[in-house]
Amino acid sequence: MADVAAVDEVCKRLQSHKGVEGIIVINADGIAIRSTFDNEITVQYASLVSRFSVKARSVIKDLDDDNELKFLRLRSKKHEILIAPEFEKSKEYVLVIIQAPCCDF
Amino acid sequence: MSEIEATLTRIQNHKGVLGVIIVNNEGIPLRSTLDDVNTKNYADLIPSLSSLAKNMIRDLDPQNDLEFLRIRSQKHEIMVSAREEFTLIVIQDPLVGFS
Repeated sequence: MADVAAVDEVCKRLQSHKGVEGIIVINADGIAIRSTFDNEITVQYASLVSRFSVKARSVIKDLDDDNELKFLRLRSKKHEILIAPEFEKSKEYVLVIIQAPCCDF
Repeated sequence: MSEIEATLTRIQNHKGVLGVIIVNNEGIPLRSTLDDVNTKNYADLIPSLSSLAKNMIRDLDPQNDLEFLRIRSQKHEIMVSAREEFTLIVIQDPLVGFS
């Protein structure tokens, strides 16, 4: 059972991290249950990211059945999309963070 | 040609790197530091995944473009740089060198 307060806490912490433009949490059915974006963008991300993380997982499994996908990072010109999928039954969620690249190292 | 060799050698000698593969845009591996079986597997599977990533970025914003893709798994990390003419794939164990 998801502890809603804990989820809110994590979302708030992530959202306030430097460069984070937005976060989306997607459930096992590909539906966004949390998002800091407007509905249209959220729905787009939810469907594209779900499909992509399923495909990425099957590629990892095809390469080595013992292996498991842990994380994905898509760096684009404008920002980076970080995808943290969880595949364990009853915990199947995908956390998506869109982050602007921070240049001050 | 030797510049390509030098780059491949440099990447291959980097800490934790398990393999480097260059695939052309027809999915044919041009160079690889892995054995044939693994090379073929990566060459068959990774370019289409990176195409999917590229399309995803474009679908979200037609003015944006994919620059780099990192796939982290339990055992290692696959880094993909997909260009028009070829795709560069590097497999690295990210925990090597960390104590």
